[in-house]
Amino acid sequence: MLIQEEMGIQEKLRILSDAAKYDVSCSSSGIARKGKQGTIGNTLAAGICHSFAADGRCISLLKILFTNQCIYDCRYCVNRCSNDVVRTAFTPAEVCTLTIEFYRRNYIEGLFLSSGILYSPDYTMEQIYETLYRLRNEYHFNGYIHVKAIPGASPELIERMGFLTDRMSVNLELPTAEGLKRLAPGKSREKILAPMRQVQRGIAAQNLKALGESRPGGGRLQKRLEDPGRRLADSPNPWWDFKHGSLQTRKGGLPGLERRAGDMKKNPAKGREIGMADTIAHPGRNVWAALQPMNQRLFVPAGQSTQMIVGATPESDYHMIRVAEALYQNYDLKRVFYSAFVRVNDDGLLPVLPGGPPLLREHRLYQADWLLRFYGFGAEELLSEERPNFNILLDPKCDWALRHLERFPVEVNRADYAALLRVPGLGVKSARRIVAARRGGALDFPDLKKMGVVLKRAMYFLTCSGRTMVPFRLDEDFITSQLVSVEHKKAWDIENHGSYRQLSLFDDYQIAGAPVSREDMASAVTGLM
Amino acid sequence: MTVFVCGQEVEDIWCGIYDAWMSRLGHKNVRLEPRGKDREFFCEYREVVTEAWKAEKVAESIRRKLSEELYEVAYRAALSEDCGRADKIYRFLIYAFSLGTGVMDQLQIPAVYEVFCMTRYLSREYTHIIEFARFSQMEEGVLLGKIKPNNDLLSLVALHFADRLSGENWILYDCGRKKAVVHQAGQGWAIVHADSSQWQERLNKKTDEETYEGLWKTFHKAIAIVQRTNIKCQQNMLPLRFRPYMTEFN
Repeated sequence: MLIQEEMGIQEKLRILSDAAKYDVSCSSSGIARKGKQGTIGNTLAAGICHSFAADGRCISLLKILFTNQCIYDCRYCVNRCSNDVVRTAFTPAEVCTLTIEFYRRNYIEGLFLSSGILYSPDYTMEQIYETLYRLRNEYHFNGYIHVKAIPGASPELIERMGFLTDRMSVNLELPTAEGLKRLAPGKSREKILAPMRQVQRGIAAQNLKALGESRPGGGRLQKRLEDPGRRLADSPNPWWDFKHGSLQTRKGGLPGLERRAGDMKKNPAKGREIGMADTIAHPGRNVWAALQPMNQRLFVPAGQSTQMIVGATPESDYHMIRVAEALYQNYDLKRVFYSAFVRVNDDGLLPVLPGGPPLLREHRLYQADWLLRFYGFGAEELLSEERPNFNILLDPKCDWALRHLERFPVEVNRADYAALLRVPGLGVKSARRIVAARRGGALDFPDLKKMGVVLKRAMYFLTCSGRTMVPFRLDEDFITSQLVSVEHKKAWDIENHGSYRQLSLFDDYQIAGAPVSREDMASAVTGLM
Repeated sequence: MTVFVCGQEVEDIWCGIYDAWMSRLGHKNVRLEPRGKDREFFCEYREVVTEAWKAEKVAESIRRKLSEELYEVAYRAALSEDCGRADKIYRFLIYAFSLGTGVMDQLQIPAVYEVFCMTRYLSREYTHIIEFARFSQMEEGVLLGKIKPNNDLLSLVALHFADRLSGENWILYDCGRKKAVVHQAGQGWAIVHADSSQWQERLNKKTDEETYEGLWKTFHKAIAIVQRTNIKCQQNMLPLRFRPYMTEFN
């Protein structure tokens, strides 16, 4: 391992941002915080992307590693200890200065600090903690901070860190324990999930307290439940009767709260510091006392996220979204990110991907992820053991709708919000606009267009006052062929964003352009195949 | 048809609406137009005089009889780049006063839809500007940023940065309209007309920013994953028109 001591800040920044770029998460969302006199910065609930890199990914935060030295040897990671790369580390002061100076110039929205493991998880975490502490208290930075919790670090450190940061994340990396064992021998599933559970409990305890303090209708948790787009499952709704399995766990009033209350009952002796206290090192200590010297700072107010690598191990899409769904339900994650596998190490255990990173697959997973979070879908509805992967030609929502034509067409002027959300071509915004607008009079297709409905998809699934947009057959094959031609080009663009492409034996995207043979013509006339 | 000719600032538009509405000629028989537009036959043209009390009255009645939210919608629409905005806001207000506060939901009404489109475009551009505006440090630590938005959203952007950089001295200059927001640390901000030669000289002074601009460019380059290069996507997300004012693309 080559450690260079005397290295310019520019070179350090180049190496440590280059090493951090495989982390997908760059969002600065989840918490709105006003600016304060004497500090620099504020945050917006929706987050702000300040730039876009040449790969089209947003740059919101100063995404760097504290150090790229690492004791682990994860096969997929560019910083694994067996790789011969230049190693370096920032000092806390350097990170703070960079963050503040970039922030003043409106280059960034805040800091995303991750790190390789130097000596031990605790040692690394202490370094990160020192950086964050100085950034908040000496440099008075009030902007967004996203920090990685290092698996294996002591719960005490994670807890203290939680009060300095806005978002915390632990990367799951591989969806199954076997995959992790194979490719990341230094890590284990338990080590990764422990800090995740700790953060979840900390947030839950805080929300419970907030709920108890405010009037019954107030509180952040309550707001979350009131938002119709977020947790559809919380409202009693006939659409949910179609579902099974995973759904039951979500049903009935305040699922999050119930579960948290369940956690509470298990620890009656510990009183109100429950949840958090049973995982931290000092069980006797009052968590809320920690709030006082920290200037009433909240514990991980923007929630936690994680990421999974797509295509490094043979898991199917079904596996991936089942894991994602479980994480959303059991760990209250804000986001699960998917990262198309990029082969940076030449390792025999890693797959060779001649077509480059599986970008279309990543795209489909993100589409499905949105369906899980905002559209009230369950993983079981989208895929199953028998059909474990997404259709490359159709997005998951169209695909689902085509398999459930018995529920369509939906009448725009009458259908409830949940039913509208399930129509391909309609999103959360357009569904809300429709629900609001139709109170003032019946809507027609031109009106839908104004509300942002994508009619080229939605037209096959909607009626306005009992009429479809154009006459067509409500038939699976017919609609599929129509939708595929729309979707086709898009899928092709995502997979092949260059101007050239690799030759392949099975290039099915050219089917439409195949020459018409004599037999085809004859069968078209006679109707015989 | 009687045409009321008014200026393009927010106050001018409120006064135009006041004159047209209070003329009692009937909504169908009046129209608002900006100055300098070609004139038509068979129309009577009346010049609107901008006076603070008229603007105040219009703003006040929207706020009081409708709601703060609708006032904000109308205000934002008045900042739009659309040259027909005065008349569009007028048509919108007719519906607003008849339908009440829920009027923004009724997108099937063309007048509402027009205002919806204007404010949507403005909001989108606002988001882009607060994302892509870049400051560079001049002498004495003053931060200078230049933007060129299509809509007149300098005042909205100023609010954002005043909250964020309350402890800094900064100037944000709108290159198209030659206006600037000047913010003094801890004191608040003001919009000034910056087309004098003195201002131009000051704005064109070289800033000494090689260190941080260099660092930012290094970061911007290093953070991209080469195997995923997708210039088209980058361009969709970050349109070319913003780039002349951005550090990383200079």
